[in-house]
Amino acid sequence: MLLVIVSGLAVGALYAATALVYNVMFSTSKVLSVTTGHLCMLGGVFGAWLVSDLGVPSVLGLAGAALVGAAFGFLTEIVAIRRVLSRPVEHLWLLTTLAMATMVQQAVGLWWGTEPRPFPRLIPQDFSAGVMDQKYWLPIVTVIVMVLGLEFFYRRTMYGKVFVAMSEDVFAAQARGIATSRVRSLSYVIAGALGAVAGFAAGQLTFAFFAVGHGLTLYGFIALAAGGLGSNVGALVGGLALGLFSTFATYFFGGEYQQTIAVGLLIVVLLLKPEGIFGQRQVRAV
Amino acid sequence: MTNTRSPAGSAGLLAGGVALATLPLWVGDFYQLHLAQLIGVYWILIVGLNLVVGFTGQLSIGHVGLLAIGAYTFAFLAGTHELNPLFAIAIAGVIGGLCGLLLGLPSLRLPGFYFAMTTMAFSLIVTELTLAQDEITGGGIGLAVPGVSAPFDTPDGLYWLILIVGGLVTWLTWNVSRCMWGRSLIAIRDSEITAMAVGISLFRAKLIVFVFSGVTAGVAGALFASLQSYITPDTFVFELGLFFFVCIIIGGRGSILGPFIGTIILTALPELVAPLAKLGNFFYGLTLLAVVLLIPEGLQRLFEVLAEKLRPRRIESHVVTPDLTRLAAAIREGQSS
Amino acid sequence: MTALQVTDVTKSFGGLTALDQVSLELRPGEVHGLIGPNGSGKTTLLNLLSGYYEPTKGDIRLDGEDLSRTRVQHRARLGIARTFQKPRLLGTMTVLDNAMLGAWRDVGSNFLGTALSLGRTRREEREFARRAGELLMGVGLGHAVHRRADLLEHAEQRFLEIARALAMRPKFIMLDEPAGGLTALETEHLGRIIQVMRDAGLGVLLVEHHTDFVFRICDRVTTLDLGKVIKRGTPDEVRKDPEVIRVYLGA
Repeated sequence: MLLVIVSGLAVGALYAATALVYNVMFSTSKVLSVTTGHLCMLGGVFGAWLVSDLGVPSVLGLAGAALVGAAFGFLTEIVAIRRVLSRPVEHLWLLTTLAMATMVQQAVGLWWGTEPRPFPRLIPQDFSAGVMDQKYWLPIVTVIVMVLGLEFFYRRTMYGKVFVAMSEDVFAAQARGIATSRVRSLSYVIAGALGAVAGFAAGQLTFAFFAVGHGLTLYGFIALAAGGLGSNVGALVGGLALGLFSTFATYFFGGEYQQTIAVGLLIVVLLLKPEGIFGQRQVRAV
Repeated sequence: MTNTRSPAGSAGLLAGGVALATLPLWVGDFYQLHLAQLIGVYWILIVGLNLVVGFTGQLSIGHVGLLAIGAYTFAFLAGTHELNPLFAIAIAGVIGGLCGLLLGLPSLRLPGFYFAMTTMAFSLIVTELTLAQDEITGGGIGLAVPGVSAPFDTPDGLYWLILIVGGLVTWLTWNVSRCMWGRSLIAIRDSEITAMAVGISLFRAKLIVFVFSGVTAGVAGALFASLQSYITPDTFVFELGLFFFVCIIIGGRGSILGPFIGTIILTALPELVAPLAKLGNFFYGLTLLAVVLLIPEGLQRLFEVLAEKLRPRRIESHVVTPDLTRLAAAIREGQSS
Repeated sequence: MTALQVTDVTKSFGGLTALDQVSLELRPGEVHGLIGPNGSGKTTLLNLLSGYYEPTKGDIRLDGEDLSRTRVQHRARLGIARTFQKPRLLGTMTVLDNAMLGAWRDVGSNFLGTALSLGRTRREEREFARRAGELLMGVGLGHAVHRRADLLEHAEQRFLEIARALAMRPKFIMLDEPAGGLTALETEHLGRIIQVMRDAGLGVLLVEHHTDFVFRICDRVTTLDLGKVIKRGTPDEVRKDPEVIRVYLGA
């Protein structure tokens, strides 16, 4: 039973991290990027490539993976976001980020292969540790560090405050002389790095597999929507709850209906409380 | 819409129709016929999805789930239970519509990205269920699917059946698109506020169109299964749903001819140009990105703009001068009726 | 025909009170002006009347029916039409299609009937097209019937919005700053159109900043400031009111 809880928390930590990455991009652009889950995928695949195939030390592997994620985040902002946000048509960003996600997934599949490959052990530890195994606590520690780091960033640093200002009112931020497109670009770079780090930390759970992106995009979104869009606490709670919930569902009903149950949960939450548990209701203006 | 069709357009339509109807007689080989059948089956789904995506602006990326449901319904009824295949196709349509209703009821109230994610989740759920319910679906091993009964039991016959069904659903959506319903759908897509202001019930209209797309997806699924003759959950990957979606966006929103051309190009190109097949979804993603960034209104609009360039019409500035007598008469007529 | 009655309506957004106990009566065959400084709550009132907002307190009645919590669509079907401050047209459709959209409340054919192109659908289409065409001729857009709406000039867009609202066969029509961005001549035409609507028995609510225009064509005027009615009456009474002069008209 303890193992169920711990593995649920570990998977939930990955979902929560994905939800956080959504929030980072959403804060500056009001875009929910389909590429979010694929950032984690990049972290897993490139981490495995660097550490297993090239024999790079774990720390450098982590840095390399973060760099790849950041680069892809940067590219996404330039190609798929910047030009589209200036257009009046709604939801074009959904199409462009969907295109980016599809392309990166297929590109990685062609290069890395379409079979899941094992992710290397990052810290020497034998496989008898049970619930204390690194594959469980690495993602949990990572997401906690991410939440604390982001809160510190938003509250204590100049750039973080700019992020908050932009998330509240882009035009007001622009009027105060903030270079909004540079800040947006930076947020995508940060999001890319964070996503890759989360994917790296959870690599031993997901394996280095090119196709985990869409699933994580979906699960991270469920965590986010349930917790409340824009809220980091909501993302954390939503992610952990979803992880526990789906692990328990698997434990009691078998793994066959895992997605059905998770999505059912999302629909129920959205019907009961559309703005999410920690979200704020938005007022519509004509 | 209220565009009157030009003689050239009518002639083109007629020529296209004749070419399609006689295709089995002049097409090169069996493989090309199969390709034409596949395009036709995809089109039957896309023509319904087009009302949802292209006209109403609801970004469903998970219609492959409805295709799978139609396919398994057909395989189960016509294969396992040896029901008359034509009847089974009709039932597949009904089941597709019902599942569309079940999916649409909770999801169509949600804003754009939420809706897209729910449809994506739906297609993943269908895959999960087809794997889990192995007594009906054969699980991962899959199911053999029978062909359609006479006179559609030959490759040529199946083609003509697909053509008849495809022509029918195209005609149906064409009728919808050029009438008040079509206008109301575009209003929902482009400005929900305007749509509400003239009295359109957004959810009701979205739901009706979504159910219609479920029916065409179910029918397409039945024909698709019969065409493939063997189906497994792997036949209905999420990326196939993405492909349908991309065909419409590339063709152009609010058009029928555009997505038709999009479907032909995107289905045929990777089959005819080997390197593209290797790139697979990368090619679809790249095409989607290029179209959204370069020609956001799609191929249809590109053709229109080119045509306008060829015969430039000057739009002269015009002072709006009301005709008050006529206006008064028109308003009074409305008041009295 | 009875009036559209707003009684003691209050609307607050969070802690902010946008409208405070506002009452207003819009009668058939009358042009009612609504003026006031920016942020005084004019557009909020319009949104309450057309149903985009729900009042926090108070009610909105037509023929005794309380509308204040009914949907936008319901009010459209009852014959309450409006235009928008920033024209909301469907750019990819033609001018005629845009105007025809207003006839939605009269559509009798369902989706299936339309898909099968039954006789009824075709008859309705012809009738709506004829009616919309007449209205377009009437407001002066006869030259642009088959043009894409996103190719229209600003004044043409404003007049098309009016034609679309009239295609709804409304009893009441609410115009949100219809003279915004129009030339003097175009504003003159707009005034004539509004008078024709009034003479045909429509109740017109006119939200406008051009006070000269308002005082010239309105039968009654209500002035809002900070969400409260500060003066209502005939144009002459309102124009001479010291409070209105102080907060809005200036010396």
